[in-house]
Amino acid sequence: MDLSTQITYFISAVIPLYFIAFILYFVRILRGPTIPDIVIAIDALGYDLAVFLAVLAILFKSPLLIPCPIVLALWIYALDIYVAKYLEAREIGA
Amino acid sequence: MYVEAILVFLGEALIAIGVFFDIIASIGMLRLPDFYSRIHALTVGTIGGAVVPLIGVALLALGAPFLGVYRLYLAGAAIITAILLLMLAPTGTHVIARAAYRSGAAKPLYISIDELATKSEGRGGEKR
Amino acid sequence: MTGLVALLLCLIMGVISLIATYLAIVERDLLKALLFSAVQSTAYAFIYYSLAAPDIVLVYIPVAVGLYPLLLLIVIKKTERYERP
Repeated sequence: MDLSTQITYFISAVIPLYFIAFILYFVRILRGPTIPDIVIAIDALGYDLAVFLAVLAILFKSPLLIPCPIVLALWIYALDIYVAKYLEAREIGA
Repeated sequence: MYVEAILVFLGEALIAIGVFFDIIASIGMLRLPDFYSRIHALTVGTIGGAVVPLIGVALLALGAPFLGVYRLYLAGAAIITAILLLMLAPTGTHVIARAAYRSGAAKPLYISIDELATKSEGRGGEKR
Repeated sequence: MTGLVALLLCLIMGVISLIATYLAIVERDLLKALLFSAVQSTAYAFIYYSLAAPDIVLVYIPVAVGLYPLLLLIVIKKTERYERP
């Protein structure tokens, strides 16, 4: 078997498992009783989505798509910091 | 030739380990009872499910010659994302857990002794 | 093959963003509505990515996940958190 087709089959087998994980995280986002539950579920969803974008860049055979996971990981972290600062001190910005 | 096959095999193995940890973390995020237990599931899903497969993506891109010269770019960006996640994710988890404890947004259900409640910075944010 | 896979992923993420948008509209707690809006922005970023537009993703994520919740949090802090029925 060729190396390219082997990698394509492997990633095609991996994609449904990632989507099962995404849907379970989304169910926790829907059911989360408090604000920090929703925030950590969004964290896990965003980080796993960053990995999934990096995997899809190999499947689509276009490596120039790769700067998107760095940006996604950094700004999901920024959302975390905002909500924590609002919950703790109730002062954000000016 | 053999080096490329070994790199591809290692990358696929690391991505498979990452998918396994993702499924475990999502089931744990759904089944665990309260917020301070779900932080365990978040740690599993972040370090085991995001840092490890990103290193796997880098190895897989290094061993795949059909991607062209830009596969080095892909590998480097994946390694940088892995290092950033390794630094950022524990910081974010610590910050949100500290805010949830000190503001009283999430109550700990299964706790037998609470040492921080007797200290000066207790729960409920009463000093503010 | 990969085009079909990309359209299928777009369909699933579109359903997730639709549910998140509906919940953001009907939610009374405005902080929860803001977090649902962030989920919708993440799903839209994935749709842009799988349609092979990484430049739009690079602009859309800092605006819709980073700056827009920051502005809304400042507004919620200035006014009040719960919407009146």
